[in-house]
Amino acid sequence: MSTLTLEFAHCRYRLTGLLPEQERHVRARFGALECPAALAPDVEIEVVQSPEPERFMARPIGPVEYRVEMAYGERQIAIAGIGFSAAIERASFRTQMQTCLGDEWFLSAFENLLRVVAAYRLFSVGALVIHSAALSDGERGFLFCGRSGAGKTTICVLADTLRLTIFSDELNAIVPSGESFSLQAMPFAGDFGGTPIRHPPFPLTGLLGLEHALVARLDTCSQAQAVSRIVASCPYLNADPMVSEQLTERAVQLVDRIPLRVLSFATDTTFWSVLDHEYRIAQAALPR
Amino acid sequence: MNTELPKQHYRVDPHARFRVLDGEGIFVLQKAGEVLVINQVGAFIVEQLQAERTLDDVVTAVTERYSVDRAQAQTDAGSLIEALLEAGALAAS
Repeated sequence: MSTLTLEFAHCRYRLTGLLPEQERHVRARFGALECPAALAPDVEIEVVQSPEPERFMARPIGPVEYRVEMAYGERQIAIAGIGFSAAIERASFRTQMQTCLGDEWFLSAFENLLRVVAAYRLFSVGALVIHSAALSDGERGFLFCGRSGAGKTTICVLADTLRLTIFSDELNAIVPSGESFSLQAMPFAGDFGGTPIRHPPFPLTGLLGLEHALVARLDTCSQAQAVSRIVASCPYLNADPMVSEQLTERAVQLVDRIPLRVLSFATDTTFWSVLDHEYRIAQAALPR
Repeated sequence: MNTELPKQHYRVDPHARFRVLDGEGIFVLQKAGEVLVINQVGAFIVEQLQAERTLDDVVTAVTERYSVDRAQAQTDAGSLIEALLEAGALAAS
């Protein structure tokens, strides 16, 4: 059995109990995030082999959008997906994954589990993991939150043509940094794809909701609208009765510090001219 | 015309959380992992319901605060409550 330690967004996750085939799949996907085993992990994920597939959700026939079922207990969060089940301890984030998978389906199962574990672990250190697209111009970080169909992948495709740095079109983390927040990459990609690489954090400059329109434009929105967009975009935790009030409070703190604005955009690169201009003005107006 | 409303009470559903932000109301619907925003009048109505007032009392409070006639307040409050019940934000108690 093998052990592997991954690091992203300032947290280390150690996997133990991997079969060679499982390790190969994880390393192929997340290898760039591997860190020396001597470094102490923040979270331990134990993989337990359970060869009876009838204990788990069956593999579907044909293409499927991978989903997990979750149950929120006082001490544990239980997760079930195709070919696996898992339990995350709320206090320590120690996780046990039971699985009958060894092929590429194991990677899907593990990646979906890691999203949940990372969301909870990062929340415990003051961060928010947000269903979002994020990018940087090498100086400033911009996060675009929204559910499926909001335009996250489209924004990434357009930003890519402008040679901006794309973090992810799926999940990104906002982490407290001094008096403000920084944008941290997460190794999870949506339709935009890409293999995880290490990105340095950038100061969170723009916090944006997305709307489709014919002309690029930035609008303000009320505090309640802003908080609702953030909370609705925080997967797993916004459905957890144990943390949803704390999540709302943290969203209030975030939008008080960095107001959320709504970016209406067409499918062209003019959105960037609007953002670049507006946020340069905003930054120039800050007291030095 | 009989305009008396039922003495029904409503409360925030146990699977939802409600708070007021800058006058507007926000419901976090935990079952669905979704969030609803309601305007200032709606937030006022939910706050009245949280104070265990009947729908009849709420309509009276709305007419006093927002200078609308009783029929309009009754229609608006009824529609809001119906929508919030359907969304799982409120429950009858």
